[in-house]
Amino acid sequence: MTGALPIFDLPEVDPKLSDVLPAGWLGLLRGTSGSGVSLLAKQFAHAGLGHDPVHYYSTYERTDDVERAFRDFGWTPNGLEVINLSDEYYERILRRDLEVSRARETGLTYRDLSDHPTVPLRRRTYNLANRILADLAAMRGSFRLVVDSLDFFLEVLDPSDVMMLARQTRHHAQNLGGQVLLVIQPDIHERRTSGLLEDMADLVVDIHGAEPPRDDRRTLHVRKVRNHPERTQALAARVTDHGLTLVSPSDRDPSRTEE
Amino acid sequence: MDAPAPESVSPPGRERCATGIQGLDDILGGGIPRGNMILVSGSVGTGKTTLTLEFLVRGAERGERSLFLSVTEASDKLIQNLSTFEFFRADLVTSGALVFVDVPVIYDRLGLDREEMTAEDVDLLVLTIQGLVTELGAKRVVLDSLTSVCYRIRKEERIRDFMLKLSQALSAVDCTTLLVSEVAQSPGRLSLYGVEEAIVDGVILLGNTRRQGDIIRVLQVIKMRGTSHSRAQYVIELTPIGMLMAPHLKGGHQEGG
Repeated sequence: MTGALPIFDLPEVDPKLSDVLPAGWLGLLRGTSGSGVSLLAKQFAHAGLGHDPVHYYSTYERTDDVERAFRDFGWTPNGLEVINLSDEYYERILRRDLEVSRARETGLTYRDLSDHPTVPLRRRTYNLANRILADLAAMRGSFRLVVDSLDFFLEVLDPSDVMMLARQTRHHAQNLGGQVLLVIQPDIHERRTSGLLEDMADLVVDIHGAEPPRDDRRTLHVRKVRNHPERTQALAARVTDHGLTLVSPSDRDPSRTEE
Repeated sequence: MDAPAPESVSPPGRERCATGIQGLDDILGGGIPRGNMILVSGSVGTGKTTLTLEFLVRGAERGERSLFLSVTEASDKLIQNLSTFEFFRADLVTSGALVFVDVPVIYDRLGLDREEMTAEDVDLLVLTIQGLVTELGAKRVVLDSLTSVCYRIRKEERIRDFMLKLSQALSAVDCTTLLVSEVAQSPGRLSLYGVEEAIVDGVILLGNTRRQGDIIRVLQVIKMRGTSHSRAQYVIELTPIGMLMAPHLKGGHQEGG
């Protein structure tokens, strides 16, 4: 049981999930680019603020942009720990790759070597998975964690390493009562990887935008709730000034059909 | 006792690069033929690094810019250790006459810090060393150690390629090069892969020998192209004023090198 702590801050959805999800769980949030998947991930992070430590691992957005998105929807990011993995990855890996390419192309002078006479070991030992696991190992109680998105991990790491990260994250969540949401794009990864992740997850939620993209309408599809298939559901939603909110049946456009 | 006097005959006209170690220069007829690449081989604690550092210090004192490429030990630490020798002058480092470069920094900057170097990596390393030597106008280079570089190159044909290209590149600018080769304490072994000694112009072997219960260091010039030299063993002593050599009294049991 997760108690009264909201999950997505969606009153029509949260109670049905928190009733049956274990205290520590791992969820998969799937959506294509532009579907509002990152917004829903932030909404999940926001819903946990003020209760437990909330870590938001961003792989594409800068820290400022994540915090600004919070404010855009009237959420205060106080207490939110944003970890910008793309910046860290750039600083530790990509920037070095660029420097190496340049040095290999133009050659090194004595000054290039004497200005930096020692090898910085730290940047060569950067590993995205270890970065998260080190934070998890420091947790002492329940927490909320978002990885937006796992696609970046699957791009730069071996899928088996990503699976190991997901397993260990879930293990920590189970032990400490943590709630983990992994954001991933559907249909771009190997079926085996997607299938294993789906199998591991206690909760799978898909978010779809209208095709072609037209307005603020979305469909929220709770596809999996571990041991409780009766709790799966498809709901109409829309993006408002307060984030993603569900559309009541009376507000629905009769000319549209849900997926 | 059969102690050969250090003597040699060198063909006229070939300029010599004096090591500054008197006994060794006597054996070599004044020094190493300039532009040659020499393997300084031996097991742990036989004096390889000290010999090569003295070679550079003596060169820097003569106005020949000298470059130490350190693979296994940080330059700062080396300089610190070197300062215990009276023959070392710190001003040679501050004036730039004696230059230290840590090879791991080259690896890092060129992305060569992978498990095994490619053929392109090997070329880049040679080009970088050649570029440094040319830029600094260095006339003496020590690579300590070749063995460590070979561990990264791995393939024998690439090691051969590396050494041939390095030899050509440095010889072209009249730079005399000492390559340190670390070998286990097994008699007859001069290098890790066995190809190194075939490519170089000369081999100086350092080792340990037991004599009357003591372990003493010995030196032997195994090969030196362009020089008729003694192949006898000499006892060496690493003293604060530098390496001293004396003929070796026979009867000992060789352990290293």
